[in-house]
Amino acid sequence: MKPEDLSPLQIDALRELGSVGAGHAATALSQLLDHAVDITVPEVKLVPVSDVPMVFGGPETLVGAVYTRLLGDVSGGMLFIAPRGAMLALVDLLRSRPPGSTKSMNADEEALATHTASILIAAYLAAISRMADLSLLPSPPAFAFDMMGAILEVATMDIGMKADTAILVLTSFVDERAVVDAALFYLPDPDSLEVILGRLGIV
Amino acid sequence: MTTGFLSGLSWGDPDANVVHVGTGEFAVGDHPTILMTPALGSCVGVAVWDAFRHRGGLAHVMLPTPSEANADGNRDRFASVAIPRMVEEVAPGAASRRLVAKLVGGAAMFRADSSLSNVGERNLEEVRHQLGLLRIPILAEDTGGSHARTVELRLDTGVLVVRSYMYGIREL
Repeated sequence: MKPEDLSPLQIDALRELGSVGAGHAATALSQLLDHAVDITVPEVKLVPVSDVPMVFGGPETLVGAVYTRLLGDVSGGMLFIAPRGAMLALVDLLRSRPPGSTKSMNADEEALATHTASILIAAYLAAISRMADLSLLPSPPAFAFDMMGAILEVATMDIGMKADTAILVLTSFVDERAVVDAALFYLPDPDSLEVILGRLGIV
Repeated sequence: MTTGFLSGLSWGDPDANVVHVGTGEFAVGDHPTILMTPALGSCVGVAVWDAFRHRGGLAHVMLPTPSEANADGNRDRFASVAIPRMVEEVAPGAASRRLVAKLVGGAAMFRADSSLSNVGERNLEEVRHQLGLLRIPILAEDTGGSHARTVELRLDTGVLVVRSYMYGIREL
């Protein structure tokens, strides 16, 4: 399954999954943080895995990333990525501090970012599970903060290098003070993507 | 070509002929060509160099052997395939006795996931095994740890320049 093989209807279905997942994640986060955080999905698109590092300006871009492997009916991996600046801004937003307060990622900030990404990933998986009637479970999340290319290579290796196409779910965290853009990459193995689209009744 | 603090490649020489080695590929060149590969995580950058001819090769290997994953597609991503092929191209036959090697990479990028962590270690093991079979000595290594590295091989001196967010610029 290549990006160009997908019909507009299929892309719409994937975007719908993204929006539903983001909505659930926003509700969960707002409850957890006790202040309103909205999550929107401005864009869902398919990108070749080899082009993923280009989304944030090249393989050497410094990013924070959270990775989980998918277990259950379909296999693959979910990778949450935000460039360094966005990662720090996300921590500010989650802690409801003025933008620019967080200067570096320490253990607390890493844990906060990991949990937030984990909630987003779980909500997204729940949306896919429900709409496609599949069982999908995330493995415990792992955090990394380094070059984009190196992080992506570990994730693609982990799923047996079978993914040639990634589903990019651009994700914006919004509260009254700031908008932070991050990205969620779903790296399905090619068979899994067809299973999901098939279950949604659009193959 | 690249962005960020690492764009100051090749000591500011804009005319340098830099060959970019992609993930799972290798390249061979002669001085004044510079071979570079960005963002090694658990992958291993294997540099071999012939001091006599100022010629060398750089491989960006992803996995130890083809039994590790489905072996379709590009087989140069495996250490056991790429290293013998690269050495044959740099210095065929007996000339390979002049070669020396340097290794970079094999890190564990993600904390708190042991199954993700040891790919780098297994890559390094297979790379050392392959170089041993070819009787190519390993002169220097910057391996392991948990940080990404970009490397550049200078073919006149055999110096391998390693850059990372963790340690800045190092030379091997």
